[in-house]
Amino acid sequence: MSIQQKINDSPIEFAVQIINDVKNSKDEGVLKCVQCGMCTSTCPAARHSDYNPREIIERVLDGDLSIIEDDSLWDCFYCYTCHSVCPAGNSVCEVNQILKQIAVYKGIGYDKLYEYLGFADSYFTAAIGAIPEIFFTDIDRDVPGWWDFRQHLDEIRSELELDPPLMPPKDVIEEVSKILTITGFKDKIERIRSAEEESK
Amino acid sequence: MKYVPDKDILLFRSCLVSVEYPGVEASTKFVFDKLGVDYAISEKQTCCTGLGHYSDVFNQIDTSAIGARNFRIARDIGRPNLVMMCATCYAINKKSVKLLNRKDELRNHINELFDENGLSHLKYEKDDLKPSENIFHVVDILYAKRDEIGKHIKYDLSDYTIATHHGCHYCKVHYEDTIGGVRDPNVMDELIKECGCTTIGWYDHKRATCGTGFRQRYSNPDLSFTATADKMNAIADEDVDILVHLCPNCHIQFDRYQYLISEREGRSFRAIHLNIAQFIALAMGGDLDKVIGAKAHTVPIDSVVKDLKEVKK
Repeated sequence: MSIQQKINDSPIEFAVQIINDVKNSKDEGVLKCVQCGMCTSTCPAARHSDYNPREIIERVLDGDLSIIEDDSLWDCFYCYTCHSVCPAGNSVCEVNQILKQIAVYKGIGYDKLYEYLGFADSYFTAAIGAIPEIFFTDIDRDVPGWWDFRQHLDEIRSELELDPPLMPPKDVIEEVSKILTITGFKDKIERIRSAEEESK
Repeated sequence: MKYVPDKDILLFRSCLVSVEYPGVEASTKFVFDKLGVDYAISEKQTCCTGLGHYSDVFNQIDTSAIGARNFRIARDIGRPNLVMMCATCYAINKKSVKLLNRKDELRNHINELFDENGLSHLKYEKDDLKPSENIFHVVDILYAKRDEIGKHIKYDLSDYTIATHHGCHYCKVHYEDTIGGVRDPNVMDELIKECGCTTIGWYDHKRATCGTGFRQRYSNPDLSFTATADKMNAIADEDVDILVHLCPNCHIQFDRYQYLISEREGRSFRAIHLNIAQFIALAMGGDLDKVIGAKAHTVPIDSVVKDLKEVKK
């Protein structure tokens, strides 16, 4: 049995890609990981699922690109507990987000995003990030009185004398829609939607 | 104590506050008015993108470009101090300011896109805003004004058993800026003390997430509600009457889903859930319907707060 010396395969390139990602705020934090496991020991997803933040960094440092296809990545709560306790100044939470964006860029995980495209739709129509309507049936089942409350939202807001109104002016919505078009966001959303709807 | 302004404030509207707990906005305005905080709300400011961002739909460039626009609006109306009612808006905006200041490539790319598409008026220049000097949560403002809270208190809420849930995206994301730190979050416990009440302080799972986990609540509810139950059980073990929040997403997870989690756990949970601004507004005499927005709550506020007794002066 041969022991593979992975460092000779330049596995650091994967970590460098993460370090260079615009979302990374921890400089070279990922390279400073000492595998102490503090992240996993405090992680709510690790407590209740197979998610293992320490192992994510181990695989990144091993240059294991297959991690972007690992379903357990999607169990992270984005609670930043790992980020707040890491003694080396790393953030698995941010690394996780970067790995997911790499996955999406490569066409992986579209099925995970599909239900959440409503966030994009509500931004283009109202410049707000409303909970996607696709979840309303579940919410109505799980939360007593919620649907009735939402039917009376305008009255409740009126009683509270909230001003300005919920919906931004038309020119504001047009301006933010334009921003989300020129960043490439709109094309990405349409790509995900059409790929998922064709596959069904 | 870090620098905290009490003027030139843009009170940053939150999607979840607007559509789920609008009383948080009314209560914040009520308390800010009592404390003499100078703030305004702008109809031009739009959502921070946080819910979509943490569902992995929005990438950083999308979020920071929207952020740059909101930051420009704040500066244009002479209110460069953004104050957030939602922990996620706070974390999202503070990160965008940090990245736009530090990462020339990101800032230049967004500015070029603005230039090329007739949006030059939205350009963000390096250090237009400072993450620690311009980006705050409502609790920061209240804490800086804490000495003035006591004189406005009308009702005595000290007979209730009170605990706090400090949202992760206030405490943990930008922990260097968190008043009271991240290990034993207590900024809200201190604010409640100014209302003449004592909280239970530390409890098991005090630092833990609410369990929302953004996509987890909807796509992975077993995982989400199991994590929430850790905390809900700990709260019930302490026989808590009122759990005080600083984030509308945590608020939804506990208030909206308390009955469901009660069924899952086979245990009766009875705490009511108030945002810190609602708690202080209530103590200051804010009307349950016209200020606190009680009708938006799933666990009725009057299931616990039945009688309000005035403080003895």
